[in-house]
Amino acid sequence: MVGLLENIELFGQNIPWLEALREEGRNIFTLPGAKTEAWKYTKLHDLRCDDFVYSPSKFIEELEGGYEDNEDCGCSDCDQSDHSCGCGGGCCCGNHLNLYIDIPFEAYQIHFNNGKFVPLYPALPLGVEVMTLMQAIVEGEARNYVGKYIELKKYPFAALNTAYLEEGVFISIERNVKLAKPIMIVYHTSTKHNLVSHIHNIIVAENNSSAVVVEYYKHTGADKDRYFNNIVNEFYLSPKAEVKHYKFQEEAYKSVHIALNHAVVKDGAKYKSFCLQKGANLARNETKVELLQENANTEVNAAYIMNGWATIDTTTDIAHLSEKTTSSQLVKGVVGGEARGVFQGKIAISKNAQETEGYQQHRALLLSDTAEIDVKPELEIYADNVKCSHGAACGELDKEQLFYMRSRGIGEEDAKQILIDAYLTDVIDKIDDEDIKEWIRANV
Amino acid sequence: MSTPLLEIEDLCARVGNKEIIKNFNLTINEGEVHAIMGPNGAGKSTLSYVLSGKPGYEITSGSIKFKGKDLISMSVEERAREGMFLIMQYPVEIPGVPVNSFLKHAVNALHQHNNESELDTMEFLKMLREEAKKLGIDNEMLKRAVNVGFSGGEKKRLEALQMSVLKPCFAILDEADSGLDIDAIKVVSNCVNNMLDGKRSLLIITHYQKLLNYIEPDFVHVFADGHIVKSGNKSLSEEIEANGYASYVKEK
Repeated sequence: MVGLLENIELFGQNIPWLEALREEGRNIFTLPGAKTEAWKYTKLHDLRCDDFVYSPSKFIEELEGGYEDNEDCGCSDCDQSDHSCGCGGGCCCGNHLNLYIDIPFEAYQIHFNNGKFVPLYPALPLGVEVMTLMQAIVEGEARNYVGKYIELKKYPFAALNTAYLEEGVFISIERNVKLAKPIMIVYHTSTKHNLVSHIHNIIVAENNSSAVVVEYYKHTGADKDRYFNNIVNEFYLSPKAEVKHYKFQEEAYKSVHIALNHAVVKDGAKYKSFCLQKGANLARNETKVELLQENANTEVNAAYIMNGWATIDTTTDIAHLSEKTTSSQLVKGVVGGEARGVFQGKIAISKNAQETEGYQQHRALLLSDTAEIDVKPELEIYADNVKCSHGAACGELDKEQLFYMRSRGIGEEDAKQILIDAYLTDVIDKIDDEDIKEWIRANV
Repeated sequence: MSTPLLEIEDLCARVGNKEIIKNFNLTINEGEVHAIMGPNGAGKSTLSYVLSGKPGYEITSGSIKFKGKDLISMSVEERAREGMFLIMQYPVEIPGVPVNSFLKHAVNALHQHNNESELDTMEFLKMLREEAKKLGIDNEMLKRAVNVGFSGGEKKRLEALQMSVLKPCFAILDEADSGLDIDAIKVVSNCVNNMLDGKRSLLIITHYQKLLNYIEPDFVHVFADGHIVKSGNKSLSEEIEANGYASYVKEK
C-alpha cells in the first residue's frame, strides 16, 4: 500500500546520468492542486490515494501470481513451455495472456501487458529498429533524447514518469525509410490491483523517413479494475520526416490515464496526430509540439466520447519557434451523463516565427443537462506577420433531426448514435489511412 | 365492408398552453384518400405532428386508433414501424449522414419490428438503387448527406424514395403552407399515386386546391377552429377555390 512516490528498485542504477535524471523527476514531482493553472479543470482526486501497486518488471510475476521465466505455467493449453512466444514468463496459452487484437489492418505489433513490455518483437523491415528503453539507455541510443527536451517542471506527470524511467520502447526509423505498415503499440491492462505503470517511449524518425504509429490502450480485465497508466511519448522528427500518430484510449472506466506526447519537429517535417479517448474516469491526453525549424508542420486532432462521471481532458500546446511553420487542430467531443470534457489549447508563436499559420477549433456536443465542458483556448503571439485563429462552440443534439429520423422508424437511441457518429465524421476524416479510419469509426 | 385504418375521436391537443385541436373527429378507411383543407394558421400541421407523435404536442383528451391499436401510447418510431409515414413539407437536413446509410437503418428497424431478417448491405443497396432509379434519383444523390444542399424538388424526391422503400400503409402528405413548389408537388404526387393501390390510405393536408389536381381525394374536409367544420367530396375543394375560407372562419 503505497502512494505515488514509492521507493522501489529499478534497473540501471549503475548508470549515473540515468540515476540523476530519475532523481530530478522525483524532486520535481508533486501532485498538482486546484491552484495549478494547467490542472484547474481536471481534478486529480483519483490519484490522492495510497493503495497504488508498482509494476516494474521484476515485481510483476510475484504480483500477479505468475511464473518465473522459463517455467511452465502447467496449464494443458500451453504448448510452449520455454515461453518462446515471448509471453514474458507468464502463460503463453491464449487463456492467460491473450495478445490478440481485432483490427482490420496489418501492423508491426508491440505489446505491453500490465505496464510491462512483452518481449515479442515484430519482424521489421531493414532500417527500422525496436528495442526496449532500458536497452537503448544501456547501449547509449536513448542518451541524446531522454530528458533533453521535455521541461519536467511544466509536466508533473512526465516528471513522475522520469522518476521511474525503465519501461518503454525505443523506435528508430533510418533516413529515407518509408514504412508501409503501421507500428502498433498495444497496452493491455487487466489487474485487480491499483497498478501504476510509467511507460516512456521514444520514436526517432531520421531525415525523409515516414512512419505511422498507432497506440491502443485496451482494458481486458474486469469492469471495475482500477489502475493508473502514466505515459510519455517522445517524437523526434528530422528534416522532411513524417510521423502520423494515431491513438485510441479505451481504458477501464475507473482507471486513470495520463499521457504526454512530446514532438520535436525539424525543417519540413510533419507530425500529425489523432487521438480518440473513450475510457478512464480521469484522462488527459496532452500534446506538445515544438515546430523547431522552418516549414515544420503539425496537425493535432482529437475526439472524445464520455459518460458517467468521467473527466476527459485534451490539452495541446503548439510552439511555433521558426518561420513558415504551420499547425492546425480540430478537437470534437461528445459528453453525456455527469461527465466533464476539458479542452485547453494553446498556440504560441515566438517573435522570429514570421509567416506562420496556426488554427484551432474545438466543438462539443452535450447530451445531458448535467454534462460539462470547460474550454480554454490560448493564443500567445509575438510575431507580427502570422495567420492565426481559434474557435469554440458547444451544442446539443438537434431535436428536429431526431424527430425526422424517428418518424422513419429509427429508434431513439439508434438515431442519437447516428447523429453522434455524424457529428464526429469530420474529425475522424482527418485520419489519412483508410483502414485505421474505419477501425476508429467502428469504435466510436 | 370497409375497414377503418385510422379512427380519431374527440381529439383535443395543445402546444404549450394553446389549444389547437378541439374535439376533432375523423375516420379513414383502408384505401381512402382524404384531404383536409383550411386557412393558414388553423393548425393543420399540428394535426400531422400529433398523428406522428412529435414531442411537444400534448393530447389532452380523445382517442386515436391506428389499425385498431391505441396510437397515442406508441412512440414516434413505433408509429412509423406500424406503417405511418409523414411526408414532410420541409424535410430536415442531417449533415454527415448519407442517404443510403440513413435508409438502411430505417429499413432494418422496420424488418426487426416485423421479425424479418435484416437485409445485408449488398441486397439493400440493390433494392435502394432500383427504387431510386424509378424516381430519377442517381447513385450520387444516395451518397450525399440527407437533404443537405438538396433543392426543393430533390428533397421531395427523397421523401418519395423513403416512402417507396418503407412501403407505409398510411401516409400523411403535409403541404399545409401556402408556398407550393409545383415541381416538387408533381414529384411527390406521382409517387403517392403509385403507392395508392386501393388498400393504402392517404391524408392530404393543404391550403390550396391546386394540389388536389394531382392527387384525387375521395373526401374533402374543411378544417377551422380546431376541427372539421364541413365534409364533402372533391367538389367542396372547388367551391373553396372559388369562394375562399371566409364563410367557414368565425368572425372574431
